[in-house]
Amino acid sequence: MMERKERKPYWRHTKWQMLASVVPFLVLIIVLPLYASSLNTARFLGFPLGYFLSAHGIAIIAIFTVASFVNRQDVIDHWHGAHEDN
Amino acid sequence: MITTSRARFVNPRLGAYFGIFVSLLTGLVLLLMIFEQLGTSEVLLRWGMLLGPLVLYCAIGVSVPSREALEFFASGRRVPAGYTGLGLASAAMGATGIVALTGTFFLIGFDALCLVIGGLAGFVVMAVMLAPFLRKFGAFTVPSYLGRRFESKPVRILAAALIAVPLLLLLAAELGMGAFAAAWLSGQSRGAMVLLLVLAMIATVVVGGMRSFNWSSSGQAIAALLALMVPVAIVAVMVTNFPLPQLTHGPLLRQLVYNEASQGIPVVAAPRFDFMLPGEGFAAVAKRFTAPFGSIGPGAFVVAMLTVLTGIAASPWLLPRVTMTPGVYETRKSLGWATVFFGLTMLTAASVSVFMRDFIMDVVKEGSPARLPDWMQELVRLGFMQFDATASPLVFTSFKLARDTVLLSLPVAAGLPNVFVYFAAAGIVAAALVAATAATMALANVVTEDVINGLSWEPMPKDARMLVGRISIAGVALLGGAFTLLAPTDPLRLLLWCFAITGSTLFPVLVLSIWWKRMNGFGALAGLGCGFTVAVLTILAGEAHIIGLDGALSGIVGLPAGALGAVLASLATPGPTRSMLELVREIRIPGGEVVYDREMRLMRLKNRERA
Repeated sequence: MMERKERKPYWRHTKWQMLASVVPFLVLIIVLPLYASSLNTARFLGFPLGYFLSAHGIAIIAIFTVASFVNRQDVIDHWHGAHEDN
Repeated sequence: MITTSRARFVNPRLGAYFGIFVSLLTGLVLLLMIFEQLGTSEVLLRWGMLLGPLVLYCAIGVSVPSREALEFFASGRRVPAGYTGLGLASAAMGATGIVALTGTFFLIGFDALCLVIGGLAGFVVMAVMLAPFLRKFGAFTVPSYLGRRFESKPVRILAAALIAVPLLLLLAAELGMGAFAAAWLSGQSRGAMVLLLVLAMIATVVVGGMRSFNWSSSGQAIAALLALMVPVAIVAVMVTNFPLPQLTHGPLLRQLVYNEASQGIPVVAAPRFDFMLPGEGFAAVAKRFTAPFGSIGPGAFVVAMLTVLTGIAASPWLLPRVTMTPGVYETRKSLGWATVFFGLTMLTAASVSVFMRDFIMDVVKEGSPARLPDWMQELVRLGFMQFDATASPLVFTSFKLARDTVLLSLPVAAGLPNVFVYFAAAGIVAAALVAATAATMALANVVTEDVINGLSWEPMPKDARMLVGRISIAGVALLGGAFTLLAPTDPLRLLLWCFAITGSTLFPVLVLSIWWKRMNGFGALAGLGCGFTVAVLTILAGEAHIIGLDGALSGIVGLPAGALGAVLASLATPGPTRSMLELVREIRIPGGEVVYDREMRLMRLKNRERA
């Protein structure tokens, strides 16, 4: 079980992790499609780049964001003794 | 070796069970394909493809009965991350997401991405901001969580009443889409097919509740995924020599862009908040595939994306499911799987629409062919396509496709055996069942836990609780069926309204309930009430053309109204009690016993002592 004095540092650490995961992702998904038209002049794997980044790119970034969040939050849980395996 | 709590409850034979299911489904498709070549009547093949999988889903549901409340309402909390993720991805948008989005991609191309990006972002936000904490709390329904978090029965009952609206909208959308595919397969009326689907839902889940739902919906999601992927993968091999349609249609798309330009398909610039989503009927291609913001303006694109994001992140038909994993870590992982499956499905839908545009473009490029190709005549005969016979020379916009038939048109256009078209239709039925059953279960559990027993924190006795649960499932399913028949609206529109209302009502309150300790019961009441009222009024005003904002974008005012109501009411009233603060602190920590399970255990002990 987590020690009482660890609660605040744990939650502060968790809040920063939440912001680090969500904010860049939200900025990206809002901004990227707005520039798709100008990016479409370039190509990647045959796709117009703006379309590719808005469809495939955001899907890959979403998967990467959740995967990195899961791993990093698990490390935070273990660091502060907040994990489930006690 | 250390056995962790993450793994000890999971059934190690799940893979074998679902392997058998996939083998049976594949066997059925192959058998029907052989029968088709042998000249068996089309009617028999269609009914076989409709009823065969339905029997399999019912068999899965009936084979996992529940004898304990924890099994009936939370599947025993032992559903692994992969299966949970698969179910979440399929239930998020259901058949409407697959079918209507494929058609929308076909008709307006890039602009349909606002719904896909919103869905993906919804899972990310749910994973980071909501799901792990609700898993730690462990309540069976969202209103139960809110009621206990704020120690307020009015919050619990108000939340139960308000979320019934989006759940019924989702149920109607999915039953409508499922009945459309089932009616096309069977040749029977839509009403009869709604009844068939409702009865199939009841038969599947009434025995085991959430346990039956979890495993049968895993089967349905696998069937829907296969029915979507397999025909497209075959078409991809035919067209690009590689069975990965999501990644290999790039050169085809580039060629399509050149051809669209040479055909004079316009590059349109929609006003900032225009939201011209295609409806159910026949329509010609409106704009070039990769050109952004031709039907949906940039402002509306962002708002629609955020509406879907908040709707999925706070969806009361998905959140109870994340509490059924063996632990908090598994819950986080399940959202990763959900993102993978959802992304894969949506990218496949986009590739279907590109292939379909390309097939039509090939015909158009020939100028004025003396006779339309056989597949086009077949599409016209099936009622999937309309063709302007007077057009000379042929242009791309001479062809009109019904939005919801684009997915079914691809196997016909590629000349695949008819069984593949039937399989795609059966996949639509499966996807509709996943989402419709998710909505039914969520609403039935809310009725059982938060309406009938809403004035008491102590649950009903075990047997009565499960009996009421079963009756609620049947009642909600029948109500949903009646609602579908009485309000036959475009399923995609119903789904978007559902997201707008859910996001406005629940998202601010749920997020603040975890991330802002100062929030109290008054804030929750105000947040729920303001968000819901503003969203519903905006939808009604938009549909009545009183304001110039499309109903699907009502989140732009509903969401801030909900957040503002929650914050202002919390600040204007006394702060939360010590026990409420302690509860928030507890749900923020993954370790330790599930809060709800501990409460139930202590309540049982107290009752035993009293007896």
